[in-house]
Amino acid sequence: MARRLPVYLVLDTSGSMMGEPIAAVETGVQTLVSALRQDPYALETAYLSVITFDSSAKQVVPLTELTAFQMPSIQANGLTSLGSALSLLANKIDSEVTKTTAETKGDWKPLVFIMTDGGPTDDWQKGLNELKKRRTGMVVACAAGQGADTNVLKQITECVVQLDTADRSTIKAFFKWVSASVSTGSQKVDSGTEMVGLGELPPPPPEVNIVV
Amino acid sequence: METIKKYLAEIASDENQVKDFLEKNETEIRSFFAELWRKHSPAAAAQPVAEAAADNQQAQTGTQRFNAGVQPDNEKAKNDSLAFQIKNKQIAFQNGKVGQAYCVDFDIETLGIPDIAEVTFEGLEAIGLQHLPEEKCIKGNPTQAGDHKIEMKFKRKDWEEGKPLLVREVVFIINPDPRVLWSKNIPTPEDIEYYKPDSGKLFVKVASKKTKGVFGLGKKELARKDMVAASQRGRSHAIEGKPRDDDFLLYFDEEAEWYVMVVADGAGSAQFSRKGSQIACQTVIEVCQEKIAAKKGDFSKLKATEQKNEIGKILQEIISNAVFSAHKTIETEAKEKGRPIKDYATTLLVSLCKKFDYGWFVGAWWVGDGGIGIYRKEPEYLKVLGEPDGGEFAGQTRFLTMPDIIQKELYTRIRFDVVEDFTALILMTDGVTDPKFETDANLNRIEKWHALWDDLNGSNEDSVSVAFSDDSEQVAEQLLRWLDFWSKGNHDDRTIAILF
Repeated sequence: MARRLPVYLVLDTSGSMMGEPIAAVETGVQTLVSALRQDPYALETAYLSVITFDSSAKQVVPLTELTAFQMPSIQANGLTSLGSALSLLANKIDSEVTKTTAETKGDWKPLVFIMTDGGPTDDWQKGLNELKKRRTGMVVACAAGQGADTNVLKQITECVVQLDTADRSTIKAFFKWVSASVSTGSQKVDSGTEMVGLGELPPPPPEVNIVV
Repeated sequence: METIKKYLAEIASDENQVKDFLEKNETEIRSFFAELWRKHSPAAAAQPVAEAAADNQQAQTGTQRFNAGVQPDNEKAKNDSLAFQIKNKQIAFQNGKVGQAYCVDFDIETLGIPDIAEVTFEGLEAIGLQHLPEEKCIKGNPTQAGDHKIEMKFKRKDWEEGKPLLVREVVFIINPDPRVLWSKNIPTPEDIEYYKPDSGKLFVKVASKKTKGVFGLGKKELARKDMVAASQRGRSHAIEGKPRDDDFLLYFDEEAEWYVMVVADGAGSAQFSRKGSQIACQTVIEVCQEKIAAKKGDFSKLKATEQKNEIGKILQEIISNAVFSAHKTIETEAKEKGRPIKDYATTLLVSLCKKFDYGWFVGAWWVGDGGIGIYRKEPEYLKVLGEPDGGEFAGQTRFLTMPDIIQKELYTRIRFDVVEDFTALILMTDGVTDPKFETDANLNRIEKWHALWDDLNGSNEDSVSVAFSDDSEQVAEQLLRWLDFWSKGNHDDRTIAILF
């Protein structure tokens, strides 16, 4: 079997995402997947998982081969348990991502995209500590709109981007960029390269601002 | 709707806004109220939402009660309620793939919406699929890749001509055939820096040798081994018109009868690795040629079994010199161009081999992934001459261009073996070992080498074989064609060199 590129989408489904934003996220993931299917690298290597977090965190799609992936419908309500989401992500990386040993051909290091529109309402530091113990590839955090706490995101990863507003077209632009990034990722891994910084991803569209 | 409009108008200031809102959300609002009404109807009190799709029996009972609660004159509410149920039902169909037979069970009964008698799918035929209600399935051979929106049109049990159909959209996802996506082959532009052809092949025929007899007696024709190599640009490079990063070279020293094979895999991450791999192969061959010539007298003196150690020492000197020079030559090139040496990062696999009376003396040096092995089919023998440099996660390897490799590991990476005979001495880049061996551990399993040898000899899905016994120039072409094998997710440059 070929090596897999695990991609985790960690999405905020708290109450503030209700309405247009959550619908845009759902469509965004669908668009992302359908774009990736056109990319021969991603088609054969990318595996996708969706973790959502509101008052608690839940893995709505386990790590699934891109060809078999289907986006379930998601609803927005409750709080913003970012910490639980990070802990859950850490657990899932343990159980779903294969390390290379002499006996097994491991996966590529997972790519993680986190999207949130608010500040965490739980002990996010605890979740982050869990995540830091795992080996991940690039982690990109996206602050959707002005309500998101970029200071927290900056502590999770160096790669933080911000959307001016959490409207349909901006969220769409973000997921388009994620799709291009996963494509780049699956090409880079194909050539044995590791991605470490935003500089190695395709340039984000005007709606997606890099937070320095 | 009018009541709602009035109510909204009271609480909202802008009338247009209200109108807009209602227009946009009419279906939702209607369904919402239909459901609300349904929930509070006497039937619903006995059986809440009829969502128990798993248990048909139960759903059936629920519906009878539900029907009892429906006022027959309220046609619209009845339709709305059904539309709401249909809309909120999880209906998903397994994804398909272009050209691959598709077949999923679909039985309207399992939806658990008993008021529905019939469903038709609009748009399925266009993508090569068919709904077969009698067989309770959807099947066919998908022809179009994409996310296809298909309309499911439901008929109510008491449907009659003129009454509306209830429509719901579902998405059929058809994946493209990766072979089609990978089939693009753009030649590398010849005007790029360090251009190299997209593939290469070489056959080194070593003519049989007549032995000296004693006073003209006992003269024998001694068949000698030949060398063949091929290198093919990976599909991942071909679809983008990018150059091949792998390289190789073969050399046979006629006088001293040493066989030298070199294979190198330029790092995909390094911009000029195609030059790194080329310099590495070139330099190793040049240095070996020179050193073998200088030592040829020693080889003829050190023929005895007990002098193996001496041969080993000479070989160690040749190999370490060759590898060291390869590193240095790359360094010089990088300096001249004002680039860091890592821009030329490459793996390197080297083998030197000569037949003595006691057997074949093989020396090897290896950095990075890929593999070198001495393989004998019968009697079974396998010796892997080193270990692939892999990391905890995929894709972490080491390169000739790393300072540590030259400063600390130049000698520790040398391997020797002496064997009576062998079927093949094989050097491969990871473009071949990844698909054919999969794991590092498998590289030490002789079954995998048997499989590789059989594969090379034609036991593969394309029936491409390399006629090793023919001894003709054709083998190089055949080997190159063999390298084009299909393996999901493995589209790296592929290079293989074989002494046989």
